[in-house]
Amino acid sequence: MPTEDEARAEALVIRHAAAAYDRTPVLEGVDGVVHAGESVALIGPNGAGKSTLLKAVLGLVPVVHGSITVLGRPPLAARREVAYVPQADTLDTEFPVTAGQVALMGRYPRVGWVRRPGRADRQAAAAALGEVGLADHAGRRFGSLSGGQRQRVLLARAIAQQARLLLLDEPFNGIDASSEELLLAALRRLRAAGAAVVVSTHDLALAHLFCDEVCLLNRHQFAFGPVATTLTPDLLRATYGGHALQLRGDSVILTQP
Amino acid sequence: MSWLTEAFSGSFAQRALLEAVMVGIVSGVIGVHVLLRRLPFFTLAMGHATFPGVVLAALAGVNLLVGAGLFGMLVVVAVALLGARERIDDTSAIGVVLAGTFALGVLLLSAQSGFTKDLSAYLVGSIVTVQPADLLITAVTGVVVLGALATLHKELVLGAFDPGGLAALGYPAVTLDIVMLLLIELVVVTSVPAVGTILSVALITAPAATARLWTDRLGPTMVLSGALGAASGIIGLVVSRNLNVAAGATIVLVAAALFAGSLVIAPRRGAIPRRLVHRRAGRGAGSVSDVSVSERLA
Amino acid sequence: MTHLLIEPFEVAFMQRALLAVLILGVLAGAVGVFVVLRRLAFVGDALTHTVFPGVVIAFLIGQSIFFGALAAALLSALLLTTLTSTRRVTPDAGLAILLTSFFAVGVVLVSRVQSYTADLSAFLFGRILAVDRAVLIQTLVVAAIVLTTLVALRKELLLRAFDPEGATAMGYRVDVLDLVLNVLVALVVVAAVKAVGTVLVIALIIVPAATARLLVDRVASMTAISCGLGALAGWLGLAISYDVSIQRGVRLASGATIVVVLVACFIFALAVGPGRRALARRFGGPPATSSTPGAG
Repeated sequence: MPTEDEARAEALVIRHAAAAYDRTPVLEGVDGVVHAGESVALIGPNGAGKSTLLKAVLGLVPVVHGSITVLGRPPLAARREVAYVPQADTLDTEFPVTAGQVALMGRYPRVGWVRRPGRADRQAAAAALGEVGLADHAGRRFGSLSGGQRQRVLLARAIAQQARLLLLDEPFNGIDASSEELLLAALRRLRAAGAAVVVSTHDLALAHLFCDEVCLLNRHQFAFGPVATTLTPDLLRATYGGHALQLRGDSVILTQP
Repeated sequence: MSWLTEAFSGSFAQRALLEAVMVGIVSGVIGVHVLLRRLPFFTLAMGHATFPGVVLAALAGVNLLVGAGLFGMLVVVAVALLGARERIDDTSAIGVVLAGTFALGVLLLSAQSGFTKDLSAYLVGSIVTVQPADLLITAVTGVVVLGALATLHKELVLGAFDPGGLAALGYPAVTLDIVMLLLIELVVVTSVPAVGTILSVALITAPAATARLWTDRLGPTMVLSGALGAASGIIGLVVSRNLNVAAGATIVLVAAALFAGSLVIAPRRGAIPRRLVHRRAGRGAGSVSDVSVSERLA
Repeated sequence: MTHLLIEPFEVAFMQRALLAVLILGVLAGAVGVFVVLRRLAFVGDALTHTVFPGVVIAFLIGQSIFFGALAAALLSALLLTTLTSTRRVTPDAGLAILLTSFFAVGVVLVSRVQSYTADLSAFLFGRILAVDRAVLIQTLVVAAIVLTTLVALRKELLLRAFDPEGATAMGYRVDVLDLVLNVLVALVVVAAVKAVGTVLVIALIIVPAATARLLVDRVASMTAISCGLGALAGWLGLAISYDVSIQRGVRLASGATIVVVLVACFIFALAVGPGRRALARRFGGPPATSSTPGAG
């Protein structure tokens, strides 16, 4: 369990930040803090800037206003302790690499240039695969696994990296239920161990279930706060511009006013 | 029409000029399609792959271009088949075909008589020795290619942008793709006398890429591209005559220079005007998707 | 058979030629793995054309062709890397224009010299049988540099090839890694210039690796097969071209023969690949691939 101090440690601090690709900001007014052991959901329609925000935290997109501080440092300086989990579909399924090798990739920054991963690294990668329930799939080619399995392998890579901040880009899109459960369980364990987790997702029920806070985005931030007070129909309607939404289970359905 | 027959049978300079203009126009126009479909590498491969056809034609005493053309069609089929296989990507497949066919040609040639002058002319062109028969072939091919492109214009454009959509509308999308590849092959083969096979891809790619820097609309792009191709041909010929250097290569360098110049000064996408336009009303996330769409049409 | 494979190499110049193709085969085979995995065949081919003017200029001013090729190769690797990352023109178009411009410069320069066609052929197709000790040493040095770099950077190059965004997220400079690989490819082209010429080196780089990919699913074994094939084809190609040229009186260009051997192996792998994988699924332990739905 994290200590009082560690729990209050600020993993990610965003102060009135705006991000831009060229000169025109695509995302503005983002403001919030994520503490160690907390999880935040980034919620908003397509094109809202969720991916942009994740990339800004990684230092891949310039911040043209305000600031982003990652683990007490500027984004570029903190990269080794920040793990990015992309959508599994963005990766080539024909590539001749095994699940085990992908998980091991998370250890590369730690291993450093030129040196080969050692036994400790291999064990960490194997353990990470175990965390997501794929320990016996290490020898399988990454592309031959199902979508949900591939997403879990990518999370295992982040686990192997032993990052203190994890950024996940829509990890629950189109994956099977058991993979989703395994992903959530692993994320919960990471959170309990003190990591901060930022997840962009469309799945409001999931955000409700798993996250402590949500950040509502659509080109600018509409709200950032605890799930209970922020994931409300009014704020959601404002964020999504009143479009029709369908949720799982017995959650709210918003329609065009 | 006597000027036409005179042009075709006139001095070597007149023939060279006519060949340069015809090849320039046809290359320029089809080049727009080549860019739309991301086929410059394929075009380069075509230039290399038709080589065995040339050697075989020489052995058989047949017109070289005919041999190249026929062999090229075999190659188009090979590339299409390979592309459908798993575990090999299109780029590597084209690379293998390019290397394999060219080596085959070199092998046949060396077996026959060792390396001769014909080889270089094939690779880098020899426009000043263009014969009336070559001119005729170029003219006929040009008419066929431009005619096909005009007739199938909307289908080919849709197929480049959205192959699934084309098939969904009931068109034979794969056949149309192959037709496109064959048309490219025809243009490459008929560029041989002017610029040779290795450089033919330049006349096909550069004018079209230059035109794209000046306009976003397809029709004007094609017209401009054809004009630039012809201009490159004329200017290149004149410069090469004055400096006494290889004509085909000079034509290519002119086309490349036009491209480089346009990169710097062209308004919509050129470097200088962009810096003059600082802030625009924010289009938010639109600017990201802007790039991806325009990349597709580039 | 041994008659064919050993006898030609009893003479010194054939021994040097053999050594050269063995080294080049391993070198090109190793680099080729990344060229195939990253779909860089076009970039590789472009580099073989852009080296040409460097070779010509060096020849014309009486300097070492090796260093002329080297200068042109490094310059074009730099230009290539910049071009493929700009947005104003598609990478394809940019590469094609760069490639042909450089090549055209070379042609223009050569055309100013009288013995135009003969020299052109030497640059383009190489003269493996004229490889002397100096060339061998140059080839060895380049091979040492390239192979050492590949081994040192192999995990980073693999990560970049598989997941460029992930690599950037972890803090790696993808553009620098790309430049390094392009420079390595350029160096292989330079090493091969005198032996097999610029036109055929692309075959040495791509075909063994593409063949290996058809047969196996792991980068490590793919690399081993690729290097092995490259060396083997060099040996066989030299032996066959010698045999046919000397014994049967039909002159066969050595470089081209090597490439034809490579392509034959490729075609063989195309036919055999699926069968081999089916066998592995039936009899083997954990399958290398699987046809589970949702894969790919």
